[in-house]
Amino acid sequence: MPNTSEMLQTILTEKFSVPEDRIRREAKLTDLGLDSLDLIEVLFEVEDTFHIRVPQDSAAIKLATIDELLATITQLVDAAPARREAEAG
Amino acid sequence: MTDRRVVVTGIGAVSPLGSDPATLFQRLMNAESAVRAVSFEANGSYSNVAATVDYDLQTALQGRTPARLENLDRITQMAIVAARQAMAGSGAIVDDKSRHRMGVSFGTGMGSAAALEDTHQQIFARDPERVRPLTVLKVMNNSSAGHIAMQFGLAGPDLTYSCACASSAVAIGEAYRQIRHGYADVMLAGGGEASLTYSCFRSWDAMRVLAPMDAETPSATCRPFAKNRKGLVLGEGAAMVVLEERDHALRRGATIHAELAGYGSSNDHTHITRPSVEGQARAMELALADRKTPHCAIGYVNAHGTGTPMNDPTETLALKQVFGTDAFRIPVSSTKSMHGHLLGGAGALEFVISVLALTHRAIPPTANLDSADPACDLDYVPLHGREGIDLQSVLSNSFAFGGTNAVLLVSRA
Repeated sequence: MPNTSEMLQTILTEKFSVPEDRIRREAKLTDLGLDSLDLIEVLFEVEDTFHIRVPQDSAAIKLATIDELLATITQLVDAAPARREAEAG
Repeated sequence: MTDRRVVVTGIGAVSPLGSDPATLFQRLMNAESAVRAVSFEANGSYSNVAATVDYDLQTALQGRTPARLENLDRITQMAIVAARQAMAGSGAIVDDKSRHRMGVSFGTGMGSAAALEDTHQQIFARDPERVRPLTVLKVMNNSSAGHIAMQFGLAGPDLTYSCACASSAVAIGEAYRQIRHGYADVMLAGGGEASLTYSCFRSWDAMRVLAPMDAETPSATCRPFAKNRKGLVLGEGAAMVVLEERDHALRRGATIHAELAGYGSSNDHTHITRPSVEGQARAMELALADRKTPHCAIGYVNAHGTGTPMNDPTETLALKQVFGTDAFRIPVSSTKSMHGHLLGGAGALEFVISVLALTHRAIPPTANLDSADPACDLDYVPLHGREGIDLQSVLSNSFAFGGTNAVLLVSRA
């Protein structure tokens, strides 16, 4: 199964035509040739792919680096089962 | 201000009868019909009849990212392709000096119908939490006009008109006024419709104005002016033209296809659907009076000719009211018999056909007209087109639900 980083890379290359060599861990999302509307859609695709919900107040994420976005995704993915349990409880 | 005349320097069309104007006109002259059976497997195998565009829009629009292409509804995709054809043919130059005097005028009845339907499905039937983030921008009625302006960098007026089946005729007429009255030098004008969705078909069905499919020959379902006509047949597509101030076009040595020499606009004002002879006749008279074109100059009328029981005899009476006994001399045809009714896109497609009739010296036929309704007793160019016809001026009629009548008059340049 592909890891989080590979899955994010697939979104960026396949849906948004970002050249692979520009997707470096320290690169900011805004430096990938994506405009503000693209970034909203990136977050939507991320949500769909990882079955998470990025909080509405996502301005900070749009300014984040790939590394920081990956950290956020991991954090939300890890929190998801706990939240589901809480909802079930 | 000096008298500013308006000419056509570029034409484009993505139609059920071909995705460029030349193919479209050739197939019309051959009396080919694009009308065929369509079905919706996902909706209980619902079926109907329509004239669809069979063209690879994805390939035509490559160069955009898949995400951005997905954000263009089918109508916008077709409109951009038609606009590109018109701009390429015109050779109009867009630069920092000219772009502020160049605009867009677009007409559509239903706009992004497929995107709207899909959004409703998403909200009501699938998952309202997962509505695509740029839905508003895809569905809004001026999406096509906005994307066309961006495509070419046009910074002048960017307008969208919605007047049902007269939408794109109005868009062309109002663009003509923008140039004539000095607000712009070049307008990329036209419109489109892409409403062949399940919910649109169901809504039209409910109104009982669609012709039921001709079981023997589906392509012959649309029969304007015929005794056995049973209603209209839906079509889809987009058509765009470059309108340009005449001296502006002459100075740059542009190829001038024709002059847009008149526009008439009126409303029936009595009933939301029932057409009025008086309203239609007034729109034609206004188009003729606009630049004082004599009635005798009209050598062809591209009729609104929907094929509904009400439209065709009413339009016939309106033509007689305007032209008197001369009405019997003028060939009148409904090309909707072949490309279907493009609703908001009809006026623009039929304007392009009218320009092509002038430049090709040829009149496309009314297909499927074996036997005319006695109440329709003009020369409807039945079954076969006519070539070698020396046309001076052509009228293109568009009449809409809501009562809007729009008539465009195009003359040899």
